[in-house]
Amino acid sequence: MTQLRYYGDPPPGITDESLPGRLVVVEGTDGVGRSTQIALLKEWLEASGYAVLNTGLRRSSLAGRGIERAKLGHTLDPITLNLFYATDFCDRMEHVIIPGLRAGMVVLTDRYVFSIIARAVVRGVNQRWIEDVFGFALVPDIIFYLDIDVDHLLPRVLSSSGFDYWESGQDFLRGHDVYKNFIRYQSRLLPQFQRLAEKHDFKVIDARRGVLDIFADLQTGISDIVAGMMNEEPPAAIHDEDEPLSMSEIMARPASNTPMN
Amino acid sequence: MGLRRNDRFPGRLFIVEGIDGSGKSTQLDLLHKWLVSLGYLVVFSEWNSSPIVKSTTSRGKKRRSLTPMTFSLIHAADFASRINAQIIPALEAGAIVLADRYAYTAFARDAVRGVSRDWLRRLYSFAVKPHIAFYFDVPLDESLRRILTGRPELKYYEAGLDLALSDDPYESFRLFQGKIHDEYDQIVREFNLVSIDATENLIRQQQLVREIVTPHLNGLMRDGNGGLQTALQEANLKGRYLSRGAQQGGPTG
Repeated sequence: MTQLRYYGDPPPGITDESLPGRLVVVEGTDGVGRSTQIALLKEWLEASGYAVLNTGLRRSSLAGRGIERAKLGHTLDPITLNLFYATDFCDRMEHVIIPGLRAGMVVLTDRYVFSIIARAVVRGVNQRWIEDVFGFALVPDIIFYLDIDVDHLLPRVLSSSGFDYWESGQDFLRGHDVYKNFIRYQSRLLPQFQRLAEKHDFKVIDARRGVLDIFADLQTGISDIVAGMMNEEPPAAIHDEDEPLSMSEIMARPASNTPMN
Repeated sequence: MGLRRNDRFPGRLFIVEGIDGSGKSTQLDLLHKWLVSLGYLVVFSEWNSSPIVKSTTSRGKKRRSLTPMTFSLIHAADFASRINAQIIPALEAGAIVLADRYAYTAFARDAVRGVSRDWLRRLYSFAVKPHIAFYFDVPLDESLRRILTGRPELKYYEAGLDLALSDDPYESFRLFQGKIHDEYDQIVREFNLVSIDATENLIRQQQLVREIVTPHLNGLMRDGNGGLQTALQEANLKGRYLSRGAQQGGPTG
């Protein structure tokens, strides 16, 4: 069971105290290899018999497109952009993550609120404010941080997608030297991740190593988290008192006659 | 937690608040026209109107996928976009900014939807404190009579149907507005909003509003020629091809 805990005030309307799924977060800067690891983890978990749900930034049906559009115009101030991200995150939390946990899935999340917070603080947004805004976020069962330094990050970025406009801080750093800006930006961003890692008890993984070494560490960490999921009783179905129970709800109830709490 | 200080700006920010049917927009419009006629530079900002954010909000409303939290966050995004792209630059330039609804609308509505009051105040801490915030105080029955006469079609979120207070849109609207009214009572005290009796005669309300605004106009930038109309007259032009907004100086939204 995952106890539903939040960093601040809980969002209204979610009455569950615990849910049968697990929330696993992989954090780390752009180019560190998060998506590779998530793809491997999904395959491994599914092969081991777990239902897996993937989600990541800007994937909400509500605000994903709006963010993309707004970023194209380069007209967004950091406060608006971050509130857009908060909307996107909240929509996914309420419509994807929590239903996934309720259904007993392992929800694998490619970046969480911490990437948003780190990037905002580097852009001059008040740290206290942005952390307060995300107070409604669910505390994950585990947060992995793929830890890397700029020197090791550079070759990976160059050999994959190259320097991204936003991930090089081109939107707020001076000058047109993308390489220099990338170094400057990442040198400010990584310490923010370090700060958050200490504050929120991330499981730090040395990401300077090879793909399979990193993967092995992630497997070990996740095994501890998902262990026991197979043996947990399914939750008592929530049903409206006025409505008769459907057959699937009756089937989903535990065999013993324990009262529902 | 309070809003951001306003004393570093040469401009002035006047805002109106009140439940639907309180007549606040009418009063703001009259204030707008008066200020323009006096030659002041006036910028008007309306709730939920940011060109960048609006489409996302209407997407969520259309699909009815907004929860109390995403409803709150997307409106905060809209507000932030207007504060940073429209309101603050205008205040820095020395203009008068008039806003129809402000952060207090979110404090009232979102709290009714169950969002933490404390979180809302921290969320909106980037907002500039208005120089004057008017609250148009109207008894609930009177505002409902004004709005519901003729039984207009009420939209889903407007009627508060997402709160499941009642299946009937009109009953839901009544209950929702009642809760917002109660919430405003607290907000008026907390933020010292200037309360105007919205059951008074329209003209007398406007006189009162102008009296309250007048001392705040000292030292503000003003067009010495008495505005566009005077300039046009001197040039012997009628301004026939100007858009209506430019002619009247009224809000175009």
